[in-house]
Amino acid sequence: MQRLAEIEISTEELAAARGGDAAARRILFDRVAPATLGLIRRIVRQPALAEDLLHDTLIAMFEHLAEFRGEAPFGAWVRRIAVSRCLMAFRSPWHRARITLDAWTESGAVGPVESDARDADLIDLDRALATLSPIARTVVWLYDVEGWSHDEIAQAFDRTVSFSKSQLARGHARLRERLQAPLIAMETQT
Amino acid sequence: MTDDTELAARLRRLTGVAALPADALPFDYDGLLARQDARVGRAQRNRRVARATAGALVIAFVAASVWRLEPREIAAPVVEAPAADSAVDQPRLVRADTYLAVAALEEHIARVDDALNVARVVSPHGAEVARLERARNELLDSYAQVRYAELVSANF
Repeated sequence: MQRLAEIEISTEELAAARGGDAAARRILFDRVAPATLGLIRRIVRQPALAEDLLHDTLIAMFEHLAEFRGEAPFGAWVRRIAVSRCLMAFRSPWHRARITLDAWTESGAVGPVESDARDADLIDLDRALATLSPIARTVVWLYDVEGWSHDEIAQAFDRTVSFSKSQLARGHARLRERLQAPLIAMETQT
Repeated sequence: MTDDTELAARLRRLTGVAALPADALPFDYDGLLARQDARVGRAQRNRRVARATAGALVIAFVAASVWRLEPREIAAPVVEAPAADSAVDQPRLVRADTYLAVAALEEHIARVDDALNVARVVSPHGAEVARLERARNELLDSYAQVRYAELVSANF
């Protein structure tokens, strides 16, 4: 499946969607929604919250279609909206309380994203990623996978570049530690 | 290859499983529209309730203040007035809890703030930003009125 930032929409499709054409909007939804949910679920592990953020992101996308200037791929524009919504959720006391409550009530909801990954290495990595704090996980994902710079991350979080660098370093250290733990356990068993 | 670049390369492999298949989406396009309609309806109901509560409270507190400030007529001494009659002349105060109104207004202002943040990211000088700022100012006015009403009531 295509990454969100790589999704391009043709000018004709975009013009039709802007004009309110339901079929064009449906196509737009089908093109971006799965990848958007994938990104949100990487940042926010709670399924119910991720669902609400997907809703917010897609509604904001449709409402502001006219303001997309086409300087970057359409998916990159949607990605920025999605990340912005996720960060707002982290900042909101209401959502923070909800995350805590979900962690108590939904057993297993904070675990790894369900996927069809068969590769044990990927499954371990996914589990290790799930153990990071939401902020560290977001910084690691945005920097390592989405290719954001420290400047861009700092701007999105409304913090300094040092904040981004330190979160990334801590996130990497934690990931390495978590990935080495099963190996050490296996060696001690043998 | 350093540890960090190796780790980043492994993480990038996760993107292949990051995107979920379409059938894993919690709702389709029609579902999105239905959810949005329900959400807008809920928000409108909450806004109406908040405005009505704030308005009623302001009227109640202002009426109570005016009633308290009116000069009292000096009543002629009544000898052995029945207990039921004397109860009529007792000052009557209506106390209403402002907690719900304040909480509803604060919640609504927070939602408008969220929407404003998104609108500013998308288009800092767009019409949507201006509309949301106007809505926020109106809500802040209502909020200030309720707080003022609380202040007035505190004098009783």
